[in-house]
Amino acid sequence: MNRGPFIFLGVLIILVFSWTTVILKPNQEVGQLLAILDDDQGGRLPRELQGAAQHGKEIYQELGCIACHTQQVRVAAGTDIERGWGNRQSVARDYIDQDRVLLGRKRLGPDLSNVGERRPDVAWHLLHLYNPQINSRGSNMPAYSFLFDTREIVGSPSSRAMELPEAFSPPEGFEVIPTRKAESLAAYMLSLKVDYDLNEAPKSPETMADELAIALENAE
Amino acid sequence: MSFIDNVFSSLRPELSGDAENRARERALDGAIRFPLLSLIKSSSVWLVIATIFGLIASIKLHSPGFFADCPILTYGKVEPLFWNTLVYGWLFNAGLACAIFILTRLGGRSGAPTTFLTISIVLWNTGVMLGVIGIMAGEQLPYAWLEFPSFVGPVLFIAFVGIGLSCLLTFHARVYRSSYVSQWWILAALFSFAWIYTAAQVMLVCLPAQGAIQALINSWYVENVFGLFVAPTAFATILYLIPKTLGSHVIGYKYSAYAFWSWILFSSFAGVSDLSFGPIPVWVSSLGVVASFGLLLPTTTLSIQFLSSLFRKFSVIWSSATARFLLAGSVIFLILMYYKIFGSLRGSLATTQFSQFDSGVDLLALLGFAGMVFTGGIHFILPRLFNKELPSSTIVDLQFWLQLLGVMLVSIGLISGGVLHGELINESIANSIAVVTALKSGFFLTTLGMFFFFLSSVCGVVTYFTILLSNRVEAEQSVDLINEAPELEYTAP
Repeated sequence: MNRGPFIFLGVLIILVFSWTTVILKPNQEVGQLLAILDDDQGGRLPRELQGAAQHGKEIYQELGCIACHTQQVRVAAGTDIERGWGNRQSVARDYIDQDRVLLGRKRLGPDLSNVGERRPDVAWHLLHLYNPQINSRGSNMPAYSFLFDTREIVGSPSSRAMELPEAFSPPEGFEVIPTRKAESLAAYMLSLKVDYDLNEAPKSPETMADELAIALENAE
Repeated sequence: MSFIDNVFSSLRPELSGDAENRARERALDGAIRFPLLSLIKSSSVWLVIATIFGLIASIKLHSPGFFADCPILTYGKVEPLFWNTLVYGWLFNAGLACAIFILTRLGGRSGAPTTFLTISIVLWNTGVMLGVIGIMAGEQLPYAWLEFPSFVGPVLFIAFVGIGLSCLLTFHARVYRSSYVSQWWILAALFSFAWIYTAAQVMLVCLPAQGAIQALINSWYVENVFGLFVAPTAFATILYLIPKTLGSHVIGYKYSAYAFWSWILFSSFAGVSDLSFGPIPVWVSSLGVVASFGLLLPTTTLSIQFLSSLFRKFSVIWSSATARFLLAGSVIFLILMYYKIFGSLRGSLATTQFSQFDSGVDLLALLGFAGMVFTGGIHFILPRLFNKELPSSTIVDLQFWLQLLGVMLVSIGLISGGVLHGELINESIANSIAVVTALKSGFFLTTLGMFFFFLSSVCGVVTYFTILLSNRVEAEQSVDLINEAPELEYTAP
């Protein structure tokens, strides 16, 4: 082992081996997936982000929301299904549109892959972003009040002004207006739902049991 | 103007005494003094910055109002800033300083073009700084340890190639043709990092792979930064410093080649186990589990080498600061690998996945193991570069105990806290608010540990600047100040 080239070659061979097995092979298996057209389920699957939601995804990435929130549902472990965080396993095809994947590695907050289904109200999300203590008391999520403008009411109040509870409302004569960033982020939250089925995604036992029951009823 | 005189005398010491004695070392130190000092200075300053970010991040977890109005310091930005400054700011600078010192000393000649090397080092640190500014400005990428904006990648890569080439030239110019195990580890670390960084940058940033595969590449990269760069440089440092500080051979040296190759092989596959249950093929994470268990072999060999060599000369450990750091690093290495190996099992992951546990193990690896070893290395290098004593043994002791205390508190806070966290999020249906309420004491403990880390990093900076700026006392004007240990590296034990 007295020569550099020997070590260089050895390390190179091992790394190429590791890279081919761990990255290239899976990339061949599940890295070249295409979207599916399914008219029964409303067209292209997975659904594409529309309008402001696309901008919202950029804000999500910019603020680093991924540090606390995952976007993946597991069936083989954990209690994701019981919590209502999703109804089936997340599979590779769900992520093919994400040029920067937001899978996440840590759950200091809840999983968000189906948050649009759980919380379909845009006002809830805006309040939550303005100050999580309003509707999630005790949460350690920081308030993103810098995504909102507090401004003096000139003439009549704006129709976009937030309806805040007494304890959180701005001083008399002022109103809180969500900026475009806050609105896009809320739109992105609403767009996050996996409400379609894919053939390769094993459904949870509960969903399958429900479907079986319905099918049996129909058969009778 | 005594400050300037002192700096000048530190950088260009004119020493009296027996010129024959240490003539070789003095010539070597002179050749690499400037680049090494810039590496050590950058590493110490980055460590302070990193621990400040870490402190802010951990305070935010229990007091979310802290700096909440500041858009450049959201938790989602401070957290990646902490990890990135820790890895690319502290560990790379410190690790490369140890690597260049070891290659030069073991080779007996410096082949590094000093100006080129210094420029590369400045470029590297500029890249890290640009990355920090980029994350604050909101340009971050959502990949762990690769959050720096996309334009930083090429800067860091070119800088790393510059530093790596200088190291290779030094190795190539060596006088002693046989090589010591530290040199293998360093070469492997340099080759591997250039390769994994290229692979990650190309497949994640330039031509991103499809969604789920990105997560796979990211996990592979994160584990390999530790397994193939940080850990090998730390091993090289321990294996070089054991004979130097203890004055005896490394026990079981002949098994080094097995440990070397098995570590490189298994650790390059080990990282992907943390994606179990996720949207990637199951066999990939299973492969990761198998490889993690393969790491038992090199872990055992290396631990036996480190610990039995250190315990044989236990009396030295109390008198030598460096040896104490090495002992702490070696013990933490064993604990860390226990968590890494057994934590990769699917059964453990079913509990700990997505919890703070991973961060705890990573911190144990980066600040506990590698951090301790590199700090020991820096305390060994600085007096030799300047031909001065360490300014104050109290500060060195303080740094050691604060760092050790920090490691203990943070690992209890994050690892035990992480297991509790995991049990709550993966095995119960407690809602998120109940979970964070239950974790509060763990968050406080982490903050306290981070505060100790911050203090210890300040001690490091103080040591660096006092030794640079202090007056040269009479004893320090003689080359006899430092007694070099006998050359044990190339003689069979």
